[in-house]
Amino acid sequence: MGSPFDINGGACVAMVGKDCVAIACDLRLGMQALTISNNFPKIFNFAPSTYLGLTGLATDVNTVSDLFRYKVNMYRLREERHISPQTLANLVSSSLYEKRFGPFFVSPVLAGINQTTGKPFICGFDSIGCIDFAKDFIVSGTASDQLFGTCEGLWEPDLGAEDLFETISQALLSAVDRDALSGWGAQVYIIEKDKVTQRLLKGRQD
Amino acid sequence: MAASKAIMRGPTIIKAEDDKTRQLNKNTLMAFSGEAGDTVQFAEFVQANVQLYSMRNDTELNPAAVANFVRGELARSLRSRSPYTVNLLLGGIDPTTQTPHLYWIDYLASLASVPYAAHGYAQYYCLSLLDKHHNPNIDLEQGMKLLGMCTDELKRRLPIDYKGVLVKIITKDGVKEVDFDNDKIVRSA
Amino acid sequence: MDKIVAQYSRPSYQNVYSEQDQQDLTESLPPLSLKFALPPVANPSAFLRAMTDDHSNPSCPIKLAHGTTTLAFRFQGGIIVCTDSRATAGNWIASQTVKKVIPVSRLSRGEDKPTNEPTPGLLGTMAGGAADCQYWLRYLSQQCTLHEIRHKRRITVAAASKILANLTYSYKGYGLSMGTMLAGVTPQEGPALYYIDSDGTRLPGNLFCVGSGQTFAYGVLDANYRYDLTEQEALALGRRAILAAMHRDAYSGGFINLYHVKEEGWVHHGFDDMNPIFWKTKLESGEFSNVTSEL
Repeated sequence: MGSPFDINGGACVAMVGKDCVAIACDLRLGMQALTISNNFPKIFNFAPSTYLGLTGLATDVNTVSDLFRYKVNMYRLREERHISPQTLANLVSSSLYEKRFGPFFVSPVLAGINQTTGKPFICGFDSIGCIDFAKDFIVSGTASDQLFGTCEGLWEPDLGAEDLFETISQALLSAVDRDALSGWGAQVYIIEKDKVTQRLLKGRQD
Repeated sequence: MAASKAIMRGPTIIKAEDDKTRQLNKNTLMAFSGEAGDTVQFAEFVQANVQLYSMRNDTELNPAAVANFVRGELARSLRSRSPYTVNLLLGGIDPTTQTPHLYWIDYLASLASVPYAAHGYAQYYCLSLLDKHHNPNIDLEQGMKLLGMCTDELKRRLPIDYKGVLVKIITKDGVKEVDFDNDKIVRSA
Repeated sequence: MDKIVAQYSRPSYQNVYSEQDQQDLTESLPPLSLKFALPPVANPSAFLRAMTDDHSNPSCPIKLAHGTTTLAFRFQGGIIVCTDSRATAGNWIASQTVKKVIPVSRLSRGEDKPTNEPTPGLLGTMAGGAADCQYWLRYLSQQCTLHEIRHKRRITVAAASKILANLTYSYKGYGLSMGTMLAGVTPQEGPALYYIDSDGTRLPGNLFCVGSGQTFAYGVLDANYRYDLTEQEALALGRRAILAAMHRDAYSGGFINLYHVKEEGWVHHGFDDMNPIFWKTKLESGEFSNVTSEL
């Protein structure tokens, strides 16, 4: 068996636009070559404008999303406010580092808009919690090499919500079409200050 | 109403009439395969805990809750010194909404909600068949016919004799075993 | 005068081949195989396996293109041959437009022009190492042409498959990787289908699926296969079985390449993108209920 990151397959990407951010993932759950499910979303909601995408080993995608749902709920009860993307980033980072010597095999991607400043925020992580801040885009998953290529080619600064949706969708679909382990449809979230649009992309089914 | 169909391969030479399923509560059934010993130990462990929950809280857990509990226990064991190596199919009827649910869980504790599923070599032969012939509105008779197509294909292509299958169906009234013709001779093309 | 004599007589020093060399070149070679350079190590076959077999050694330095679904089956109207078109190197999809059906015929070699006229000759399918299959099927086509010239009639599928099987057997253990099917209709045999692989196996049969997606194709094919299928039913079944494999197997996909082999020769029935066919199948006949089409 190969690397734990390549067993189930999956891809995730986040992008910054003008006063908006987008995050998208594919829908495949596989076991090596076999496709088990075509409805396995990898993006989870943690606050009204804060989303976390998790790629890697499917069991850890489940475990980590459950863990953060618990932690973020506890935060909200204690603080009586929603968690900001920046705070969640630090929570993700320190929680992943707690498992430094037996890590979760996931590569998270975070996208959101800070409700106090109104500024878009994205970042990515490695499996033990190193934060990668970016002003343009973050990629992860088995199609990350391809995503770097498509994002470098398609992304430009200050895209509006609709243009950002087109850009992230094309970037993701083109990338997963060159990766055997991801694809089979995709989900896209376009996050604006007080509106979130969720869309389903009918990707290639092979 | 058609509920999920749990098929499990019969056993090896040791026993030809094994039941590889456990009923977790009134309307959830779990089928399992994997490492000998681990399977029954794990199944009966979660069975006991689900029943304990029902007694303490005087309420039946719905299939989604059971599936997530089972997954959580399996995920916890995965990072322990001796993990359980079991693959599970968990089917049930939600007591409040009366809708059928089927969950696929592998030994790594990946959980997926699916309309039809299989484990082991069976999934390589049966999933394409189910892709073609399944639709969410099939009744019990059509479901049994489809199951027959799956077992025919396994008889045709698998080099081992899995001693037939044991079939149980889950309806809103509970779980019951049904007769299934395991002696049909299947000819290859 | 001496000059002219020298021109037409062979000086002794030009005979660089020793008696032994000549013997080797003419006799000790397997009559049907060519001479290839082998790695200069003690055990070339073990060395080649270690370097190229990414199943036993995932970090092997020479990655070969793998992953395929191909199928062929006999029915009353001839033989259906159908393949996917994906080539992968690890998880990277190297190509989605590979032609995995190779005509083994002098008349159509290298040409795959869409025409409704049947083209005489056999069809070979390609699974495993792409280069191995392309090279050896081309070589087989050369042998078939020679057979046709020598004997003034077309080669039988049995004989052609035997040439290929003897060839693969002579290179057994050297890391060749191919699983191929030869299909043809000849006056002597009628519709004939053979499976040949790099182990040297050669099997006649009614129905074969080869490649990483074979089980998925078998699943659909076995359930609906009958020898007395009509031509339209057979074409639809071949296409549907490949579609099933493309959907479930990550290493199969791309375009559905469909052929029908009859008495007069083979007819190409399209090289069609699977995606529109998939959604048409799903939405019109309610299949693939596992795929979500709305949020």
